[in-house]
Amino acid sequence: MFLEIVDVFISGLINGSVYALMAVGLTLVYGVTKAFNFAYGSFYNLGGYFAWLLLIPLTVVGGYYSVFFLAVPFFFIVGYLLEKVLIAPLRKYDDWEMKVMMLTLGLSLFMDFGYQSVFGPRIKSLPSIIDGTVEIGKVVLFQQDIVIFILSVSGMLCFGWVLNNTRTGMAVQAVAQNPAGAQIVGIPKDFIFAATFAISTIMVGFGGILLCQKNFVDPMGSTDIMIKAWVITAFGGMGSIRGSLYAAFILGMLEAFVGWYFGMIHVQIATLTLLLVTLAIRPQGLMGRE
Amino acid sequence: MSLKRMVVILVGFYCLMGVMPLFFGGTDYIMNILIMILIWAVVASCWDVIMGFAGIFSFGQVAFYVVGAYASAILSVSLHVPPVYAILLAAVITGLFGVLVGLPCLKLAGPYVALVTFAVHMTLVPFLRGPMGRAIGSGGAQGILTVPPVSLFGMTFSSEHLVPFFYLTLFLTIICTIILVLVIKSYWGTAFLALKDSENFAASLGISAFKYKLMVFGLTSFITGLFGALYAHYVGMLSTRMLSMDVFTILMIMIVIGGIGKYPGVVVGAVITVTLNQFLAPMGMYRPLIMGAIVVVLVLFLRDGLVNPIIRLISSRQKAGRTGEYLS
Amino acid sequence: MLKINKLNTYYGESHILKDVSLSVGQGQVVIMLGPNGHGKSTLLKSICGLVEKIDGRILYDGQEIAGLPSEKIVNLGVTYIAENRELFPYMTVKENLKLGAYARSARASEKKNMAWVASLFPKLMQRHNQMASTMSGGEAKMLAIARGLMSDADLLCIDEPALGLQPSYRVEISKIIREISKQGKTVFIVEQNIPQLIEMADKIYIMEEGAISFEGKKEDALNNEQLREIFLGL
Repeated sequence: MFLEIVDVFISGLINGSVYALMAVGLTLVYGVTKAFNFAYGSFYNLGGYFAWLLLIPLTVVGGYYSVFFLAVPFFFIVGYLLEKVLIAPLRKYDDWEMKVMMLTLGLSLFMDFGYQSVFGPRIKSLPSIIDGTVEIGKVVLFQQDIVIFILSVSGMLCFGWVLNNTRTGMAVQAVAQNPAGAQIVGIPKDFIFAATFAISTIMVGFGGILLCQKNFVDPMGSTDIMIKAWVITAFGGMGSIRGSLYAAFILGMLEAFVGWYFGMIHVQIATLTLLLVTLAIRPQGLMGRE
Repeated sequence: MSLKRMVVILVGFYCLMGVMPLFFGGTDYIMNILIMILIWAVVASCWDVIMGFAGIFSFGQVAFYVVGAYASAILSVSLHVPPVYAILLAAVITGLFGVLVGLPCLKLAGPYVALVTFAVHMTLVPFLRGPMGRAIGSGGAQGILTVPPVSLFGMTFSSEHLVPFFYLTLFLTIICTIILVLVIKSYWGTAFLALKDSENFAASLGISAFKYKLMVFGLTSFITGLFGALYAHYVGMLSTRMLSMDVFTILMIMIVIGGIGKYPGVVVGAVITVTLNQFLAPMGMYRPLIMGAIVVVLVLFLRDGLVNPIIRLISSRQKAGRTGEYLS
Repeated sequence: MLKINKLNTYYGESHILKDVSLSVGQGQVVIMLGPNGHGKSTLLKSICGLVEKIDGRILYDGQEIAGLPSEKIVNLGVTYIAENRELFPYMTVKENLKLGAYARSARASEKKNMAWVASLFPKLMQRHNQMASTMSGGEAKMLAIARGLMSDADLLCIDEPALGLQPSYRVEISKIIREISKQGKTVFIVEQNIPQLIEMADKIYIMEEGAISFEGKKEDALNNEQLREIFLGL
């Protein structure tokens, strides 16, 4: 019983860390551009397929090292172009927020069924980044889990450092806090919008590469991920990076324990309940600003 | 749009629909399309009232439709309630469900509302398929296969008798359309348009804005549930496939073609979309792919929908035509 | 230095500026007076690339800047100091100032300007770790001006620097603007009325209903009975 709980705890921790990576990207892009991206989960799957394509059919030299190395420019370009071509033109409309939601929802459908028609409807499995186990007393840890945890946490730390210590990072925060002020001091707002979108795409793409090793690449799994990322963001407080971080781990744990105790089918219901209760009590989320 | 033009378009549309069975009464394929047009036209109109007029970013419209359908089916199958009462009860249940969802989220900022309502949609699938759903009679993954048809005054309305069912639907459609037009053109509608323009004004109205939003949300949920229930008794079987994203997307295409807040554009949007969807049916897996692409392209290029610019074009032509006559 | 020829500006359907032409010379202090809501702020925003739809010519140092994106205009050395400050609320004073030097043209002289700003606003520097959102109106205004100076701009477009401030702040702001002008910077101010400011003006414009209704030296304005009463409040 105790060991089982430890296992569930660890699985919650691993999932939570990857969720945190993805949710931080989402909260950033919402905080800065105010664009509500309903296709976020489809980019998670794009990460999964990207890794699968490179590792299995193309058997790329260097394995996961090459995947990570190529993923950064790939997702940056995809995200950047997407913002420039699909989101930016909508900003001139009064009801652009609604239009962005509708467009990205259509985009997610297009992407999800695009994956199905290109890669087939069956799930794909990715090889483990590393095999083997580590034993700490009676608890057995997969080295894969440890690597995923370390990678996502260091990815987040790295991101946080860039945001707080570089000129561009400060510019991103400036746009989030006051777009008009940012324009006045000469920050190229449109570029920051697109770049932020691109960075969030990298983060969710990496989330896909990391988590699909454990959960398979499922062409229809993207809405689930999208909802999770958004719930974490709303629960933590939209635009609050620290809030997302806490919320991601709370949700990861909730999911692991509810799934273990009541069955996986109840996970989503528990998630929604958590969201509704939080928003009813504290509409700005855990750490959001009013 | 002026009330007069709105009424002219709607009366014209429903008169046209009303005479359709005279020509196509024998063709089940076309009658089915016509019935689906009527049902979707109302469901999409409700969504337009919520999004375009009340300014609520609700993504729960399909969810309410499905709640209505399942509620009526469960009432009539498990509790043996006669379908007519089951439909009405289902509509009331959906209306209450709408209020229940609206209570925590209508005070929130737009994107949160979209998120919560969409999460409700996504959560309905595991709920209806899982043990909780089975406990209330949703039939789990299999769904409900034997929803009884509606009988009224000794007549049976079902997919076996398409023409009577068509007129029953038309009757309900017209009643609901009148209600929606009244909502749009009433004090509420005007107030909502003002609300959408000014957040501060909304804030100054405070609680009453919330109350009105909640009332509209409840009312549109009621109507949506009514048509969901009607649909359940029409097709006779239900499954959680109704909640798949392509159904949602179809509804979205209707409103994008019609133009958000450009009622009754969305009615025309429903006609185009339902027909288009039928044409795309043989495409199989590519259908949702195409649907998704259509949404992206339409949202990007249609500012006010497809219908409104055409109406504007026609009315400017008419004026031009009149001067033309004078000149010749 | 700055030459505007037949500038027209629109917000949606409404036509705000109508055929505005003016010029600001190198090192001058030019003040634009006029009633509220008649387009003075829009004029400054148009110069700084913060208005979408403009039509006409704006020459800065002989270069056409009308229609350029704001970041390019800041790079050329024109900065806007907003009436409502537009600070970054959840950043400290120091971070706000650092972002003021975001423009590429300002980066090299960031240290020098920081020292200058510190000497001009000693009170501000005492609380360099305070969050901008927690400052009083007067302090925030000072910070906005300081942030504008960090951009190393040669032309400062200052929008209502003293609006809604206590008299003590008005005097201080006038002093600071005098200091700025002494450094050889060109200052273009939109203001209601501050006698101390008008004292140092090289040129005065008055804008009414989106058009220039008066142009002249401060002596001309002060001698004009009607203007004195209506706009200068003397």
